[in-house]
Amino acid sequence: MPHLADALAFARWLTGNAHDAEDVVQEACLRAYAGIGTYAGGSARAWLLAIVRNACHTWLAKNRGPMLVPLDEVTDADLLAAGSSGDDDAEAAMIARADAAEIEAAIAALPPPFREVLVLRDINGLGYREIADLISAPIGTVMSRLSRARTILIRQLGGRNDRA
Amino acid sequence: MTERDGQPIDPGEARLLLHALVDGELDAASASALERRLATDAPLAAERARIVALRSAMRQLPRPEPSADLRRRVIAIGTDASARPRRSFDWRALAATALIASLVAGGGTYWGVSRVAPQDMAGDIASNHRRALIAPTPVDMASSDRHQVKPWLDAKIGLSPPADDFARDGFPLVGARIDVIGNLVAPTLVYRHNEHLISVVALPRAASPQPPAGPSGSSARGFSLVTWEDRAFTYWAISDLERAELDAFVRLFQARAAEKG
Repeated sequence: MPHLADALAFARWLTGNAHDAEDVVQEACLRAYAGIGTYAGGSARAWLLAIVRNACHTWLAKNRGPMLVPLDEVTDADLLAAGSSGDDDAEAAMIARADAAEIEAAIAALPPPFREVLVLRDINGLGYREIADLISAPIGTVMSRLSRARTILIRQLGGRNDRA
Repeated sequence: MTERDGQPIDPGEARLLLHALVDGELDAASASALERRLATDAPLAAERARIVALRSAMRQLPRPEPSADLRRRVIAIGTDASARPRRSFDWRALAATALIASLVAGGGTYWGVSRVAPQDMAGDIASNHRRALIAPTPVDMASSDRHQVKPWLDAKIGLSPPADDFARDGFPLVGARIDVIGNLVAPTLVYRHNEHLISVVALPRAASPQPPAGPSGSSARGFSLVTWEDRAFTYWAISDLERAELDAFVRLFQARAAEKG
């Protein structure tokens, strides 16, 4: 996937829509171009995504107010354990059948710090180490946010008939 | 749930590690221990199935394509002097230029070299065409069959622009050669019209200087030069033909491309 499309896919989930994402990506490319001296080797893609993330935060602060990190994010092991409780494959099949709009709505509803890690992992395909570096957090935080995000999605998409 | 061989017994911890297992981020020892446990722990195995299902569902989500407008705006960053790093001849300027090319083109080791100023480009294209006229043969590979020309270009430089033969309209395909323009390697198609040759240079749009809007013409060192673009390439056709005849050729070329969609 070309870097530009990659940057756009990430920005689309941080800003919430493709139009604002394009403005943010353009701003990020400007910053990348002016700040090429800060590129210290390694993955150019991860470097660009980090700049996109900063540009998104600037944009969000201006347009939406600050991004809040939930306090309970590290102490959610119990919640995780109590998550989906079924032990058959019916829910997995239901998730596999979920349509794009449904999945997108569920992702959009995630708390931003969880959404960001989920998107970097499952949309952009970054490794845990890359994500940890990018968001300047320990790997444990990445793992906890990722599993939390996925658990929320699984519960929404897998249990959607139960809720109805 | 008791556990041998050091696997965490806390179910929450096991579920946390499950994600790492699915993502291929677990070391071999932990992975094999967790897999052993999955064999006997049905709820955990069902959770893995759900994670796998979610991952593949997310992979199939449509991805936003950068609009033509965004691509233009990003390319413009590279040509806008005000956005350029201050010292213009150090490695950063070069790296920044390469960066812009790779952002737009992606996977850009081949094209991530540098972009070429438009006026230099026209001059290089004219020089290449002139040399082709003087050389014993204007092509590196002579064939009027696009099924030979395209694979040959693809094998040489990894690019295969459309290479249709227009013999019925008086513009037979002579063959193809590889040109060097600035520091880019470009596929060039050669057509003949009566005793005149036409060189058609095709560069991936990201590597080309400012994309022209619609066919535009000029002259370079006495040759007629017409440039236009489609979705994948920017083209330059150069010839000592009369401008009207060159325009007729370009219309043929564009019409054929439009037929293919």
